[in-house]
Amino acid sequence: MNIQDNYLKNKKNIFFSENKDIETHREKLINIFENDRFDKKNNESIKNINLKNFIDFKYKYLIPEETSVINKNQENSYTIVSVNGQCSSFKDDKIEITKILDEDYNDFSKNDTIEHNDHFVNLNSLFLNSGFKITVKKNNNIKIKISNIITDDDLTIFQKNNYICEEGSSLNLIEEYENKNNSTSNLLNVIKLEKNSQLNHFLIQDNSPNHNLIITSHSTCKKDSNYTQKVYNFSEGYVRNFHYSELIETNSEADLQGIFFLKDNNICNNKTFVKHLAEDCKSNQVYKGILNDRAKATYFSNTHVDQVAQKTEGYQLSKGILLSENASYFSKPELKIYADDVKCSHGSTIGPIDENAIFYLRSRGMSKIAATKILISSFINEELSSIDNQQMSEIIQKKLVRYLSKVK
Amino acid sequence: MNSETLNTLDSYSKNKYKYGFVTNIDNEKPKKGLNEDTIKFISLKKKEPDWMLQWRLKAFSKWKKMKEPKWANLNFPEIDYQDIYYYSAPKGFEKKPKDLSEVDPKLIETYNKLGIPLEEQKVLAGVAVDVVFDSVSVATTYKGELEKLGIIFCSIGEAIQKHPDLIKKYLGSVIPAGDHSFSALNSAVFTDGSFVYIPEGVKCPMELSTYFRINAENTGQFERTLIIADKGSYVSYLEGCTAPKRDDNQLHAANVELIALEDAEIKYSTVQNWYPGDEDGKGGIYNFVTKRGLCAGKNSKISWTQVETGSAITWKYPSCILKGDNSIGEFYSVAITNNFQQADTGTKMTHIGKNTKSKIISKGISLGKSQNTYRGEVSFLRKADKARNYTQCDSLLVGNRCGAHTVPYIDSKNNTAVIEHEASTSKINEDQLYYCRQRGLSHEEAVSLIVNGFCKQVLQELPMEFAVEAQKLVSISLEGSVG
Repeated sequence: MNIQDNYLKNKKNIFFSENKDIETHREKLINIFENDRFDKKNNESIKNINLKNFIDFKYKYLIPEETSVINKNQENSYTIVSVNGQCSSFKDDKIEITKILDEDYNDFSKNDTIEHNDHFVNLNSLFLNSGFKITVKKNNNIKIKISNIITDDDLTIFQKNNYICEEGSSLNLIEEYENKNNSTSNLLNVIKLEKNSQLNHFLIQDNSPNHNLIITSHSTCKKDSNYTQKVYNFSEGYVRNFHYSELIETNSEADLQGIFFLKDNNICNNKTFVKHLAEDCKSNQVYKGILNDRAKATYFSNTHVDQVAQKTEGYQLSKGILLSENASYFSKPELKIYADDVKCSHGSTIGPIDENAIFYLRSRGMSKIAATKILISSFINEELSSIDNQQMSEIIQKKLVRYLSKVK
Repeated sequence: MNSETLNTLDSYSKNKYKYGFVTNIDNEKPKKGLNEDTIKFISLKKKEPDWMLQWRLKAFSKWKKMKEPKWANLNFPEIDYQDIYYYSAPKGFEKKPKDLSEVDPKLIETYNKLGIPLEEQKVLAGVAVDVVFDSVSVATTYKGELEKLGIIFCSIGEAIQKHPDLIKKYLGSVIPAGDHSFSALNSAVFTDGSFVYIPEGVKCPMELSTYFRINAENTGQFERTLIIADKGSYVSYLEGCTAPKRDDNQLHAANVELIALEDAEIKYSTVQNWYPGDEDGKGGIYNFVTKRGLCAGKNSKISWTQVETGSAITWKYPSCILKGDNSIGEFYSVAITNNFQQADTGTKMTHIGKNTKSKIISKGISLGKSQNTYRGEVSFLRKADKARNYTQCDSLLVGNRCGAHTVPYIDSKNNTAVIEHEASTSKINEDQLYYCRQRGLSHEEAVSLIVNGFCKQVLQELPMEFAVEAQKLVSISLEGSVG
């Protein structure tokens, strides 16, 4: 179906369709879809995939009957179950959860460069049908765990979540995506870190083969704030992790890390983009991937240093291990630097498991498979050992063991 | 300021680009613009056989349908292809001079100013020079001695007439006319360039060199160079460029094709110092070059070395297609941009054969308000077992109004291939500067010394003839922008 017809037909279910400004913007987006030539070579958002499947989709959304559950387990610790991208409102003296409002629509979605380069963000803006907003109040130290549940098959969820960490606050956020049905979930996280706040963001992704997960996030960091994101991708379906970060005031930090484990015909697209717009900021982008069978992955990393952003430190690292002869990995670590007093670097390696290391282990009596497994575990050991949450560490270990059991 | 100071300043600023002079020789040109008649005119002037004309026309029809590639991080006004002369040859050159005494004395003088007196060069340097002055080869020296070894070193025009078999077989085999719009343009209107054929088992005893020089105003130069190294042979080829000072932008779209057969090795070195435009970014050469080498045979090797200091716009990606098993591709580059120069340069290594190896060392230095981009692609295709790549690209920033960008594309489809890429960007180390200043060097000398050290890894790959010149060039490029 034509994207415009699709939109008009389902308009009543889509957020903010009565708002005139938003409507005009959406018309512009429809125009982009109709006039773009979908240049696979130069558009990072559509590499390796057939965009047609995502544009000519059947729209289906169900408003959940059972509203979500918010539990306050202990002091400062909350668990949220979000159903079909929705979450009921909640308020206490530490956090506040509300629906997203018209004005939240403009965050990140209205952005000229994004509009022309990221078709999935455009789809999200067009068909937005769910989402919520969490505010962590001043000087609080909070833990939140969110489980994302999708109730039915063939649902198309277009969700936008806003996270705001007020001054001096600290948030430990764990998001779980474990879905077994054939749905498509297109999620946009907009994160705002006020002065001196901190957010540790963990994303655990483990979906079944027919579930598509498209996550985009955009974080802005103000003075002395710190955003750390860690993505663990064990999904068997298509996953896209595109994460943008902007350091807009001095002494802020962004740390975007990810590891992904692919097998079969799995496709995974990753991108991290850090924009340094102020002095004395630091950024770090590290992605590691293991690819088996006919899996395909891409990783685009980008550090942009503005002319004013002196004393910047920006590092990138990308590592890929190809376990089978049909796997392929594409990486493009980019640096764009307009200031002179900077320290920026990137490194990228792709290759098989080190044969000398395998030889060493085999000469000590290990089978080849055991040796391979040990070396894979050690490849990502740094990331695993840095998890300070005992419970999460166990979850990830379990998933890793499951992945390794299929390595031959 | 009194008038004397102004005069001194004036004369000083005029002297900045020391190769910026114009030789007044009558030019015989066709009308401006690009159409089939222009191509027929060129072909007629070059006395080409019909198959060549057809080849050109085919390329032209492809070009008409193409758009300029847009991937580069460059900013320039649209090129008006109808406002350019596509052929200009000094009058009376339809008949080639037999020796130097027949050459227009003004030309000889030009070369003397450039510091390459042909007469002396014959005796002194042991370098055979195939000079391109505008579009016609003026004199080819050392030919006889090369002929004894069976080496063919002549202008491409001559090769089309004398060695049609080789041309038919190899021209356009590495860079197809329809590859992109600049290669199609070049294929349609190329006027001159060099042709080298090294027969089986021959090691070329001297460095072959061409001195390109753009002269007549508004004449784009479209050289075509084709080098074929047959089995087991070796050749080292030098290319150096300077251009007279001009205000109008001059378009330059050269194509260079290298073919290395089994066990052959080709070393291709370039020093490019075309007019980069003035301090306000006015004028300068637009340089859109396609260079590609094919390691066709087993154990073959192609090595590109380039020092890029000139041109307002540089768009250049010397690449290697590593098709033969065990073949090797190398790329060493120094790119310096100053004032308003823009450079988007790098390489493309395509690994097809087994055990193929490639190495990329790229050093970018940005000064003034310039933009310097490294853009490189390394790809391992499915059958490139045990292929290996190492890439290092470093950038140095001097001043806070310039930009340094690194855009590598890394694609691996083989699980036994290993790829390593590293890059860093920083400014000149304050401690090193302090150390040099303490020992009595001026700020400018110190920067020049450090930059030369930064580039050393690449400069040492250049043949002797070039190495000294290149080092001087690096220092000259830094002048006036530091401090």
